[in-house]
Amino acid sequence: MGRRVLLIGLDGATFSILDPLMEDGVMPGLQRLIASGARSELTSVVPALTPPAWTSLMTGRSPGNHGIFDFLRFDLRSGQPQLRVLNSDDVACPTIWSILSRHGLTSTVLNFPMTFPARGISGSVVPGWVPWRHLRLACYPKSLYARLTEALPQFNPRELAMDMSLEERALEGCTREEDYEHLIELHIRRERQWFQVLTHLMREQPSDLTAVLFDGVDKLQHFCWRFLDRAIFSASPSAFSSTWESRVRGWCLEYFREIDRFLVEIAAMAGADTSVIIASDHGFGPTVEVFYLNEWLHRNGYLVWADAANVEQKHAETLGLGTMARRFYEIDWSKTTAYCPTPSGNGIYITPPSAGAGGIPAERYQSFRRELMEALLRFTDPATGEPVVKRIWTQEEAFTGTHMAAAPDLTLILRDGGLVSILPSDVLLKPRPEPAGAHRPNGVFVAAGKGIEHGLRVPPLSILDVAPLLLYSLDLPVPQDLEGRVPETLFGPQYLRSHPVGFEALPAEPAVTAAQARDVDLQLEAQVIGQLRALGYME
Amino acid sequence: MTAVTQEVILNDVLKLLNELARDWEYSGEITPDTWLFADLGFESIDAVVLASFVQEHYGRPFPFPQLLADIGQRPVRDLRISELVLFIQQHLNGSAAGA
Repeated sequence: MGRRVLLIGLDGATFSILDPLMEDGVMPGLQRLIASGARSELTSVVPALTPPAWTSLMTGRSPGNHGIFDFLRFDLRSGQPQLRVLNSDDVACPTIWSILSRHGLTSTVLNFPMTFPARGISGSVVPGWVPWRHLRLACYPKSLYARLTEALPQFNPRELAMDMSLEERALEGCTREEDYEHLIELHIRRERQWFQVLTHLMREQPSDLTAVLFDGVDKLQHFCWRFLDRAIFSASPSAFSSTWESRVRGWCLEYFREIDRFLVEIAAMAGADTSVIIASDHGFGPTVEVFYLNEWLHRNGYLVWADAANVEQKHAETLGLGTMARRFYEIDWSKTTAYCPTPSGNGIYITPPSAGAGGIPAERYQSFRRELMEALLRFTDPATGEPVVKRIWTQEEAFTGTHMAAAPDLTLILRDGGLVSILPSDVLLKPRPEPAGAHRPNGVFVAAGKGIEHGLRVPPLSILDVAPLLLYSLDLPVPQDLEGRVPETLFGPQYLRSHPVGFEALPAEPAVTAAQARDVDLQLEAQVIGQLRALGYME
Repeated sequence: MTAVTQEVILNDVLKLLNELARDWEYSGEITPDTWLFADLGFESIDAVVLASFVQEHYGRPFPFPQLLADIGQRPVRDLRISELVLFIQQHLNGSAAGA
């Protein structure tokens, strides 16, 4: 039997939460795993967001090359502004599982985003972010679903895959104890479903690469941050001593205990010859305010709503899903020059001339963009005078690559690390009633296995380094177009001498994505907003 | 190229939905008159995925935005299976005729 690798994704995991949990004895298994190998922070891509970041981990390519910048693609350049849900057809680079297939190795791939529709590989795929009603036909091979239902009496697609009604219900009113309990239980049940599928396939159909993603970490941290962040609950110990908050924290800890149990059991099942890599797509931190970016664009003359009367309904909390979905289609594109289409990526698109008379022609683009950036950077908190926008990435700074043209023109980093709101508002900046969780660039990386030194703590790695490491760990050459590198600091010099990193010539670069080739054009509205809201990206 | 009949497309769509419906706890018969949202309990994200399956099955794109825009204009924002079939047929055969 050759070498094997186990990749465990923990969506949004951050050491600022995991370290205290290990210290408190909640995650002893992770602690032992780290002691037996190496740990590092894992620097995400821009934006530090699930679809682009996991796609970068899966392909070893940056968003400018793999073409995934958000959950959605916003296209103003085709003349008719469109929002479209992205899927695996839009991923413009080979995944590590397709590279393994080319070398005759097998993969089991569970719950990764941008893997639906599942592509034919040597192995099995249960894609992530798929509505449960369609999971039966979404798996690869097609027979996989039936095999799982026959072998696993507890298999429940409604718990395993996305159930929008459950997720939305869980998140609509997370103010009461029972709301949090419902949300946390939902994710514990979901992880148990993935765990049983994973362990079944590991027993029945072991692969060279087994990859699973537990995505509840991200969800809990979005909505339960104040119950998880030691800096917050330690500051008010009385609030966590006997109140319902302490019970919510207890349920959160139960979720992480369950994850820890999974880590231990999966690693034990995989065996000593298997290298174990744990990675997250981004980190997490607190967010304490909301910046209404489209409202700012509106007030500064960049954005005009088509139906002014409708915009009178400005309070975010009174807007239903349908109203929010319509926002995108209520833009007066003949007068709008800049717009933020989604609440997940902090991206601003500058309207090209083809989208309406108000578009910015190429000769004015640079000066227009510079002025817009300067104006955003000048925006300050009226209470403190402090700038709200901490940094702005231009398209060419963040997204250089073959698909740069589809990327946002500007990507904002806010002072509190949070996400913007795309909704109209009476105010430009509003404090949150309670701190929530928001993405940060620094995720987690843990590796243990053959050749990896014990007890190492190495400087931050790039998420782009994971794909080369996975290939190296399987004794495969690294394609020359991968943008990361094998992190040699993990290995001893003797091991590296006996196992030199190999490279292979560039495979042919696809000129267009499958989606471009098919000209798929799903202009769907409400589901997009609903999906994002349920995923925690909608303010 | 031979035009694809409504009967063939209806069979394709019913086969697809009946296969999926095994997990849906939907006890009724799925017929051309069945509503996707009201009867089968579709969420809007389900429509996205169904569109993917249809495009994958026929190996070509369909102008679903146009269909959805039409639905958006109606008092009842829902779609019967027979309407979906008609939509597929019109664009499948329109494309074939132009090929």
